Amino acid sequence: MTTTLAALLIIHVLSGVVAIGMHNVVLMHLLKKAPNYVFVSRVAWSAVALFFLSWTTSAYYYVTYYGSAVKPRILAGATPVAHTFFMETKEHIFLLLPFVAISIALATTYLRANADGRLRKSTAFLTFIALTIGITVAASGILVSGSI
Amino acid sequence: MTFYELLVIMHIVGTVLGVGAATFAEIYYTRFNSDDIVNDDERKVLSITYTVMRTGLFLLVISGFSFLLYFRLTEHVETLTSPSFWAKMTVVAVLVGNALLLQTRILPFAIGAAVSLTSWYVALILGIIGTTSATYVEILVYYVIAIVLVGFSLRFIRARIHAPKKI
Repeated sequence: MTTTLAALLIIHVLSGVVAIGMHNVVLMHLLKKAPNYVFVSRVAWSAVALFFLSWTTSAYYYVTYYGSAVKPRILAGATPVAHTFFMETKEHIFLLLPFVAISIALATTYLRANADGRLRKSTAFLTFIALTIGITVAASGILVSGSI
Repeated sequence: MTFYELLVIMHIVGTVLGVGAATFAEIYYTRFNSDDIVNDDERKVLSITYTVMRTGLFLLVISGFSFLLYFRLTEHVETLTSPSFWAKMTVVAVLVGNALLLQTRILPFAIGAAVSLTSWYVALILGIIGTTSATYVEILVYYVIAIVLVGFSLRFIRARIHAPKKI
């Protein structure tokens, strides 16, 4: 693996993990009755930026390296299911995440000027779904890395 | 100092902050709530303690994932499939889930406190012992037993502190 690819992998993982952590912060604040929406929307938009960074770096890594160098090793190894199920699932579910994150950020921005209890609860539920997807994707990534 | 050593220091600092803050959060809460009233000053102390705990969790997660990257890039991937590693990941996920359930008031505080305190210590112990012959399920069974024991111990301590003073 080249230094560039290693750097991309590091950016992919760390930006993804921090973005998941940010969604956790957003959720914790949205569960309060009167959250600080300015803070919440800033964190939500930061999560969007990090998810897109994680998304683009992983895309380059996947297209230029994973398919040709990593995937064959996993398929030939003891746990090919790491690719056939976990990676295949991860790479498709992950496509949703940046757009779910944008929806959360837009909703929290709207809430800054129009505090609404029902929208707050719906946004909290959407953030919970995003958090669940994020944790699942991260866990799948660890399984894939551990199966090489 | 190597990058690996920096990660180890970050991981240890995160664990120390988390375990220490979880311990003192429990001590402070038990002490402050002995008169069934938590005043503003006591609330501020608890708030600072929880902030330290969250900082510890953040450092632990970031350094933990940095370790994963390090192992992946150096091709030492056997760690990523070990039972103790996955048990530790589960414990960290429980810590996050527990915080959410406490925030929504779905989980009673007594149970949440026991889960939080036990989880931090289990994460610390799993980190210290490293590899173990126990399976993932066995570790989780011990973990659940520990939560129950800690829960009963905390209940006993709180009952003692709340007991009417003998004149």
